[in-house]
Amino acid sequence: MDMIIAGLLDSISLASLIFLLAGVAVGVLIGAIPGINGPMAIALFIPITYYMTPLTAIGFLVGLNKGAFFGGAVSAVLLRTPGTPEAAATAWDGYPLTQQGKGEKALRMALYSSVAGDFLSTIVLIAIAAPLAAVALFMGPAEIFALISVSLTVIAGIGTTSISRGLIAAGFGILLGLIGTEPVTALPRLTFDVYQLGSGLSLIPVAIGLLAFSEILLQLERLAVNGSGEHCVTVFSKKSEDRLVSLKEFFATTKALLRGTLIGVGVGAMPGLGAPVASFMSYDQAMKRSKKKHEFGKGSLEGIAASESANSSVVAASLIPLFVLGIPGNLAAAMLMGAFMIHGMQPGPLLFKENAQLMYGIYGSLVLASLLLLLIGRFGLRFFCKAVNIPAMILYPIVMFTCIMGAYLGKSSMFDVGIMLAFGFIGYYMRKFDYSYVAFLIGFILAPEWERALQQVVIISEYDSYMFFQRPVAMMLMALTLFVVVRTFWTSIHAKRKNKKIQAAAVAAAQHKVTE
Amino acid sequence: MTRIKRDTIAYLLVVGFCVVMLSWAIPTYTPAYPGYGASPALVTNVAVGIMLSMAILSLLTIAISVFTNKPLPPEESEFPEDLKDGGGFTQVGRVNIMQLGRIMIPCVLLLLAIDLIGYALASFAYLMILQYAIGNRKWLQSFVVSVTLTLLLYIIMRYGFGVPVPGPQLFE
Repeated sequence: MDMIIAGLLDSISLASLIFLLAGVAVGVLIGAIPGINGPMAIALFIPITYYMTPLTAIGFLVGLNKGAFFGGAVSAVLLRTPGTPEAAATAWDGYPLTQQGKGEKALRMALYSSVAGDFLSTIVLIAIAAPLAAVALFMGPAEIFALISVSLTVIAGIGTTSISRGLIAAGFGILLGLIGTEPVTALPRLTFDVYQLGSGLSLIPVAIGLLAFSEILLQLERLAVNGSGEHCVTVFSKKSEDRLVSLKEFFATTKALLRGTLIGVGVGAMPGLGAPVASFMSYDQAMKRSKKKHEFGKGSLEGIAASESANSSVVAASLIPLFVLGIPGNLAAAMLMGAFMIHGMQPGPLLFKENAQLMYGIYGSLVLASLLLLLIGRFGLRFFCKAVNIPAMILYPIVMFTCIMGAYLGKSSMFDVGIMLAFGFIGYYMRKFDYSYVAFLIGFILAPEWERALQQVVIISEYDSYMFFQRPVAMMLMALTLFVVVRTFWTSIHAKRKNKKIQAAAVAAAQHKVTE
Repeated sequence: MTRIKRDTIAYLLVVGFCVVMLSWAIPTYTPAYPGYGASPALVTNVAVGIMLSMAILSLLTIAISVFTNKPLPPEESEFPEDLKDGGGFTQVGRVNIMQLGRIMIPCVLLLLAIDLIGYALASFAYLMILQYAIGNRKWLQSFVVSVTLTLLLYIIMRYGFGVPVPGPQLFE
């Protein structure tokens, strides 16, 4: 009990509150800018958190991520260009409202749904993470090894259209994650006699290059081909019924909101799926079950509530596998895992045992971040709308220079800047060639833990080749890994056949039309 | 270039990379087995093995579809823009090498120049060149952005975090 109170008191200290507020505000601002999302923002700002206490740092990054999720809705509603992929479904109903002069109403609905979904999902996280972590403590190295294997396979299968490319990316990530000092012999491995690689590739330059820099390269290419695109609509109607969401209107969306939250929590807790899946799934369900189906796509508040509550509830839910098992479920969680490691902590069930006060502090910060999001969104809405209009030609050089200085900041080394540029280049090609950078990054982060678990299994089992068969849970997880690979291959072959059939039918129909 | 050709080249590159890693890099730059635990080369070999087997499997799939005269549907074998109007941009699509070079070359030059001429000059020049490269022809705007950003990051790093900026210092 003392731990809980001490942790909660830490979360309401002045420094924590200031950085949490700053995190949420910067997150909304960044999320509102098309092309920049939560994980990118975390990658860019992790170097700053070197200079903070662990609680302030994690609170700041969590606030940043939560803010960015809502921020994505701003450009989705005003510009029909979602700031983040998960806000795409919000644009379907938000933009029509903006065209009717009700943009502010759409944004308020997005804010309230976002905060409600996020708050409820945080409560679920708080309620189940610690008890599940207590159970997870019984897992041995064999189970951990098998669990990482199955997570990597699931993430590799989902992040790309081909599981083979996903697994190649994950393998590449694991390989690069093993560069540095080998844990058993304490001798350099795959360093190619470059002394800076002795401690391995740092996560910060790799993540900044892969997530932020490569995305800016793509955005600039898009800008060169398509021009600066359409201008944002920020003219709102002044009538109060067009600006505000009444209680009646809000309560009319309750079912969609709660369903969205439930879907978001479920999807967020599973590795690999991510917020866009939750958002589209929730929107689809809301449309199917609504009494006003005809309003969907034309400015339905229910549609906005379904999409926003689902994608925001993924934020806290994605921390469940991270806190319980030490496995990041999505990119944002992987970046937060990196932040934990930078501050000398290994996410997983032991975190509750060894850093209980910090964990309760983080819980406090998560709840406060939801409330601060409501406050910041409510009063800063018009300011954030203006952020959407920052010209790309000014914005992108600023982001690129921030990437360079962010990579430098970690170790005050230009070598890391070179690493960041190299990974920006690699990330650009990975995106172009459809290799999952999510699988790569998660493989990169989990590689040392995967190897450590394998080393322990080999040593404990005394070189028994059947070591996994003696542990039923590990055996089940390894079987699940195999099942995921086979099933994904099978589904992709089946989809190809289906595509061919559809195409043949379309060609036949076209020929029939021509003959007629 | 069709999508199949592009994927084939990518898979062949992966196979080449794996062969180099397995035959030279891993044996040369991995410590010898110390006699206990798993070999230091085990997980690296497994990672490269996964990459190699997946690349070979994908190449085989492509080869079978080509030799049995069963081409993949257009949306899988060609780029989406080829199906529409022959132009445009898609994320999974062509690499615009000229555009990539315009952005990457100033970055590499900054990396080299910062140790020679210092943070202030190198950063200012980099930002000016970068803005020009992406099409900003408003010189005053470019100048103001470059100066402000260079100064702002200098102040944040130097006085906020106490980290020395890279390269020789202009005023010290």
